[in-house]
Amino acid sequence: MQNQLEIKFLNDFEKNQNIVHKICRIYTTNQDEHNDLFQEITIQVWKNYSKFRGEAKFSTWMYRVALNTAISLFRKSKRRIKTQDFNTVSYKIEYVDYDNTKDLQLNALYKGIRGLNDIEKALMFLYLEDKPYKEIAETLGITEVNARVKMNRTKEKLKKILNP
Amino acid sequence: MDLANYKKVWKNQPEEKNKISALEIYKMTQSKSNSIVKWIFIIGLLEFVFWFAIYYLGTKNGALEPYEKLKLISFIDNFNYFHYVVVVLFLILFYRNFSLISTVDDTKTLMKNILLVRKTVKWYVYYNLINVVVFSIILNILIFNTPDGINILSGINNESFNQEHMMSVFIIAQIVVITIMILILWLFYYLLYGILLKKLNKNYKELTKLNEIS
Repeated sequence: MQNQLEIKFLNDFEKNQNIVHKICRIYTTNQDEHNDLFQEITIQVWKNYSKFRGEAKFSTWMYRVALNTAISLFRKSKRRIKTQDFNTVSYKIEYVDYDNTKDLQLNALYKGIRGLNDIEKALMFLYLEDKPYKEIAETLGITEVNARVKMNRTKEKLKKILNP
Repeated sequence: MDLANYKKVWKNQPEEKNKISALEIYKMTQSKSNSIVKWIFIIGLLEFVFWFAIYYLGTKNGALEPYEKLKLISFIDNFNYFHYVVVVLFLILFYRNFSLISTVDDTKTLMKNILLVRKTVKWYVYYNLINVVVFSIILNILIFNTPDGINILSGINNESFNQEHMMSVFIIAQIVVITIMILILWLFYYLLYGILLKKLNKNYKELTKLNEIS
């Protein structure tokens, strides 16, 4: 039984790992931290996987656990503070069919989001991932009205960062 | 460029190049978590052990011998029983609040529950500090109401010794020791939890602040 659950989890997680990578890129500033956060999210998703009943899509459920880990659970370890920051995400991304302008724009976007606080990052991430306000509000534990108000403010803040 | 365009850029971003294989994911699930929750649990447990050990050692090791002479043992025993009951209640509360923590909850509830565990430990520390102070006050009153109380306690049997002088030295010494102890503890907890929960506190405030804007 455990084995079957494990196989199902590995399959689900591997398929949806891009979500986790995006969250890691937003919440960390270097590759070591990225890997640490990725690992902690993997542990947390697995620890709670037996509670996932399939009433929602796996990815939807994973957004919540992954964001919670990034916002509330993750401790950046001091030992790796010296590692070089990555100002770009490009070196990890494949260049197939990808022109340079879009690459620069994507880098600017990531850089801009990193300038937000943890909650604003979550809001902006869920907005970019096209999540409805109802889901955003439920994920963060706030009302829909508050989510909208905060989202508008966060968008304004990000716009100022992107177009100074 | 406006945000709608950035959203398109976001959507068209390529997939992560360094894909993690199923085997690597499996290895990760077998490794140890390094989350705040785990550390709060470990530190919380250590605090229970620490305070219990202090209390236990304080009442063992022959420290109570002079009190036997003063016939205060039954008072101290009763105080101990009461203390043990309170410690057990705190432990139950600690485990109950800890088990409330679930990463599947919404972010706000999760943060609230993590902070609740921290609060339980904080109350436990306060209880111990108050316990020390109350215990000392009651004991002092009982000692001073016993004829020759201080002499018996200090082992000095000199009639000519100034009782009043001895009394003030005795009290001042206790106040100084307790104050220093509280200051050291406060600094210790401030640093320990301050560092550990700085980010969480900030994020929790950010979310609760939202209730005020509409």
